[in-house]
Amino acid sequence: MPNKVCVLGAGSTRYGKLNESVVELALDASKEAITSAGITPKEIQSGYISNVFGVSDKQVHMAPVIMSNLGIPYTPGLTIESACGSGSVMLREAFANVAAGFYDCVLAVGVEKITQVGTVQSTTLFSYCSDFFYEGGNGASFPGLFASIARAYLTRYKATEEDLAYVAVKNHENGILNPKAHVRKKITIEDVMQSPVVASPLKLYDCCPFSDGASALILCSEEFAKKKGKSYVEIIGSGRGASPAAVQSREDITIIPSTVNAARQAYEMAKITPKDVDFAEVHDCFTIAEVIDCEDLGFFKKGEAAEAIRSGATRRIGEIPINPSGGLKSKGHPIGATGIGQVVEVFEQFTGKAGDRTIQDAQIALTHNFGATGASAAVHIFKKVN
Amino acid sequence: MSESRDPNQITNRRSKFIEAASRGKILANKCAKCNHSTLETVYFCEKCSSDVFTIEEYAGLGNVVTFTIQSVAPEGFTDAGLYAWVVFKVDDAPFNVSGFLKDTHTPSDLPIGSKVQVTGFDEKHGLLLERV
Repeated sequence: MPNKVCVLGAGSTRYGKLNESVVELALDASKEAITSAGITPKEIQSGYISNVFGVSDKQVHMAPVIMSNLGIPYTPGLTIESACGSGSVMLREAFANVAAGFYDCVLAVGVEKITQVGTVQSTTLFSYCSDFFYEGGNGASFPGLFASIARAYLTRYKATEEDLAYVAVKNHENGILNPKAHVRKKITIEDVMQSPVVASPLKLYDCCPFSDGASALILCSEEFAKKKGKSYVEIIGSGRGASPAAVQSREDITIIPSTVNAARQAYEMAKITPKDVDFAEVHDCFTIAEVIDCEDLGFFKKGEAAEAIRSGATRRIGEIPINPSGGLKSKGHPIGATGIGQVVEVFEQFTGKAGDRTIQDAQIALTHNFGATGASAAVHIFKKVN
Repeated sequence: MSESRDPNQITNRRSKFIEAASRGKILANKCAKCNHSTLETVYFCEKCSSDVFTIEEYAGLGNVVTFTIQSVAPEGFTDAGLYAWVVFKVDDAPFNVSGFLKDTHTPSDLPIGSKVQVTGFDEKHGLLLERV
């Protein structure tokens, strides 16, 4: 049985088009997390950094640079990349090392800086996260890959493009309440339906933005957390999964196996079922992704999530609130940071810092974050510590 | 037509796949141990982990499983006009492949299930398809 692992502190920059360098963003979020946890940098025994496109801001081998600028140059760190799922995969490694007893206190910081290269270059860089020989190399962008998944889903389950629009409207409704969200703008179903087609059937407002930003956590053992006397959150479940890298190789294009398997592991570790989850932050890089996530995570039966979302079941006052932060769609998607940013939302929800986004009486939360079209994924489950 | 081979002698699987595609064919591996077929580019059988294969060559025909029309194209495709990225089930094979289909303007141009054929492979646009 692993040791209990807790989230003692959390911090995040605003997400959006930002001027700071990739290193500065990581440091800003890290400092906020360290302050939030009530620790000093010298109590950190290891650093875990998730990042994908550091090279575009002239910095790879980022961990030593971050640790040095936190004033702890002799504390080891490492950088982990798993495309858009880098944050959650990195979290899993940090969790595992604390759970195994190697460390009592670690920093987990995710960061991305991409907007400076522009939309066309960003689209191209993201396509390198696909199975490029079969996908990007044949003309598929990431919106295109998810559009092909959307077409398969809409065809099989008789869902509509308007059903997908409800995901976008709901997440923007939440993101307006998040002061650090990238796109704080109320939108309507008509706005989504009339936005330009990016890759049919997906339109501009079905897609998350390219974002810069960083989010950071302080993870520690339960004993360490109790000594500090601050509010903390316990990680009670962790799972990882994989899928065939190329969409063409999936047995069922409307299911993301990595999510299903990661969720099963996390639920088993936490000894709960999907019905016990009070809210979830899921990977809504595109509206269709949130629909499929909700089914793969067990919140709705296969083929029923679109109708449930349309009915309001995933709004903040619904039966299972999804993405109260605004999700990737509204809060933004700095891909190396996203999986950690989701946990920042959980921490804020469970420590009384979520303001008007607060999900009343929530005790159990789930985060779900995947890389590329779900080739890699991690799911974590959290318990509020009263 | 099939031939046995020593996988240690293969130096570039993608080149072999591309060479077959340029002739309008899809190259695959059939596991000598369990008969599971996968695309040429896979190194170990995903069913039994054997690395001993027989080469299979399929006629590059298949039916559309799903697709998108890229209104916003990535670099290298911005001069291609409206095109589709298509996933199709290869006839007589247990797997799908994906490719580039030019001149696809609306979803009604390409109903799910419609027939496509591999016509070649080029460095710029990858696996080339046409409607049959």
